[in-house]
Amino acid sequence: MIRFEHVSKSYGDSLILNDLSFEIKAGELTVLIGPSGCGKTTTLKTINRLIEPDSGKIFIDGQDISKTDKVSLRRSIGYVIQQIGLFPNMTVEKNICVVPKLLQYDKDKCNEIVHEMLELVDMPYEDYAHKYPSELSGGQQQRIGVLRALAASPPIVLMDEPFGALDPMTRTLLQDEVVRLQRKFKKTIVFVTHDMDEAFNMSDKIIFMNKGNIIQIATPEEMLANPADNLIRNFMGSHSIDREALPQTASDFMHTKVYTSYKTRGIREAIDLMARKSIDTLVVKNPDDTYAGTVSIKAIREQGRTYSTIEPLVMQNYEVSYVDADAQECFEKLLNGEGSYLVVLNHDDTIAGIVTKTSIAKSLADAVWGGNNE
Amino acid sequence: MSKFFLLYGEKLIIAIGTHFAYVVFSVAIAFIIAVVLGTLLSRKPNWANSIIPLISVFQTIPGIVFIGILFLYLGMKPGTIITALSIYAIFPILKNTYVGLVEVPEQYKEAARGCGMSSMQSFFKVEFPLALPSVINGLRISTVYTVSWAVLSAMIGLGGLGDFIYSGVSSNNNTLIIAGAIPAAIMAVVFSRLIDLLQKLLIPKQIRRSGK
Repeated sequence: MIRFEHVSKSYGDSLILNDLSFEIKAGELTVLIGPSGCGKTTTLKTINRLIEPDSGKIFIDGQDISKTDKVSLRRSIGYVIQQIGLFPNMTVEKNICVVPKLLQYDKDKCNEIVHEMLELVDMPYEDYAHKYPSELSGGQQQRIGVLRALAASPPIVLMDEPFGALDPMTRTLLQDEVVRLQRKFKKTIVFVTHDMDEAFNMSDKIIFMNKGNIIQIATPEEMLANPADNLIRNFMGSHSIDREALPQTASDFMHTKVYTSYKTRGIREAIDLMARKSIDTLVVKNPDDTYAGTVSIKAIREQGRTYSTIEPLVMQNYEVSYVDADAQECFEKLLNGEGSYLVVLNHDDTIAGIVTKTSIAKSLADAVWGGNNE
Repeated sequence: MSKFFLLYGEKLIIAIGTHFAYVVFSVAIAFIIAVVLGTLLSRKPNWANSIIPLISVFQTIPGIVFIGILFLYLGMKPGTIITALSIYAIFPILKNTYVGLVEVPEQYKEAARGCGMSSMQSFFKVEFPLALPSVINGLRISTVYTVSWAVLSAMIGLGGLGDFIYSGVSSNNNTLIIAGAIPAAIMAVVFSRLIDLLQKLLIPKQIRRSGK
């Protein structure tokens, strides 16, 4: 556990950290976020004493770190920086073993650590251990950067915008990997970023800073639901969900264009329609336009030859809802039901539309990213 | 040709040996002083900004003048010529060591500190190895220069290949001039090759490209 008590720091006239007091829980991934110049990196670096506060105290597991030896403190805290900072004059193996070697682990132990570490990120020892950083891609380099921080199994790992320089794909991959490693080893990770997506993807807790002050400490959920002020709301931008725009009833997100057929129609006609529209089921109506059921290409293929109309093949195994049914209830029905979509009916039992899994995803995406519903 | 070797062969071999020894000793001494000084200066860039230009001005004093002055104080012994050559050889190595160390990117120094290296460990494990390509380049420049400066030793009667060149010039004997100049040129090339080899041994090829 890391505890800040009234920590302040200024450079000349500008106040970088203004009387910060907060706690970071052990075993959690805490993200420090905020606009540039908010003091997030400075806060991070006071934890391994790369920066010394002007006043106030920082405790790790109850111990005042200003009273510990800087060098051994840092050996007990993993550190990953944005520019990666793998030593170019050392191979991957040597880079990973920097801290274990400083701690004077013996050769066999170091060797074992390198094998274990490379295995964690699926980089085979034989292929990578003896390469130099310049021979690796950016993503691979930062993986090794993370491994270097983990090698001596420190309980705390500090990460300073570690994925800022990577392309979005690699960044997402590495975020997932770090979260996976964190869950596995129960590390206390303090992670600085200015990217809200990254914060939401990874964090157990978000500390939002601005101008040297903490504006809000909350879980991602809480912060989404109740951002403390407008700055945070703006920062979250696309993430803040507008509850008004969420689909309320089935009619908000159903497809109204449905391929239907009367149950008195011939089998061959049904097959022809499915083939033309590239679909595998048709919604079937009674002669009075009320819903009768569905017919699938599978049923037709298995027994179709024996009948002339589709009527005997109609099944009622698809879930059905009415247009004003609660959206959430529809989602659940669809997700639990065996059909690949849900049929929505008007109150006179005529067919109003269908809800597919894709339409759920789309309507949620529209609500989250504010897309228009065409 | 064979007559020349019969007449001067032994003398030439001694001259080459002497010349070689002057270069090796002076550069070795210069290297140690320059690396230590360059390292100290890299810790104090403020001092470096005034000290390095001062040394470079000193570098412009003609070798002949300087050796002459040293000769007055130290007398006619190999120490005089080695002192003079060392002092001249210091500057390129010093400057390259200093620049190499100062230009080690901040990210590596921060990573080293963040990993828990003491400043000594950071220096020996990270900063100096990264500055090494630059240091070795300085060594090469100094060595090649020293091979030619060592010719001046003949001026105060201390042997080396300069003997051949000076007596060739004063007696208008081209053969003698060439007999001095060619081994000196070859020696410069050989030293340069040896240093290339050293560089290959010390610096992994993966970082040689980025090194200057």
